[in-house]
Amino acid sequence: MADMAKNKLKVLRATHQMTQEELASRLGVSRQTVIAIENNKYNPSLELAFKMSRLFQLTIEEIFTYEEDENEEA
Amino acid sequence: MYRMLYIKTMNNKTYKLYRIGIAFFVAAMMSIAVSLDNTWLAVSSVVIGMIFMAVVRSKTRRIVDEREVMVRQKSAQMTYAIFAPTVGLGSLLLMLIADESNYFLEAMGIVLSYLTLFQIALFSIFLVFYNRKYGGHGEE
Repeated sequence: MADMAKNKLKVLRATHQMTQEELASRLGVSRQTVIAIENNKYNPSLELAFKMSRLFQLTIEEIFTYEEDENEEA
Repeated sequence: MYRMLYIKTMNNKTYKLYRIGIAFFVAAMMSIAVSLDNTWLAVSSVVIGMIFMAVVRSKTRRIVDEREVMVRQKSAQMTYAIFAPTVGLGSLLLMLIADESNYFLEAMGIVLSYLTLFQIALFSIFLVFYNRKYGGHGEE
């Protein structure tokens, strides 16, 4: 299975008291995309990641974490 | 590139409802046309359905974002991966089983094999085009 970056989007959205619809319209994507990102089913593009980091005034690393699967190298 | 494509008023839910309505209308008209054996009714119902669909689509505020683009790309890729070998092998089979009593199978096989070749050629052309567009031909 491909590695997926984990994110704190759900938590950040809750702290900023935003609905998925509001967040989606502020990021310029559909609500389904926000749901997919929150559930770690879809990795956003770099462009969208930057939009998120600007919206929440955090760095990309603070929103997303990426851990490589160690077993994959073996 | 991945911005939302807004097209005026109607939202996605209303668009879906309208689409279902139009599909029902066309299906009902088609069944009436078949029962009456009326070709013109069938054709006109399809044309009217297409016009309605175009109008509804033009009034819809549809969102096409990067995830949807990715979904479409993957579906297209999977369709190609299944369709090309299936039709290619099917055409070969048709040409092999054809004999004098059912010569039309050979003709069908030839048509299908040309169709497959055309599809592969198109795929190759676009592959080269997009590879160049996204910098795949650059030097170090």
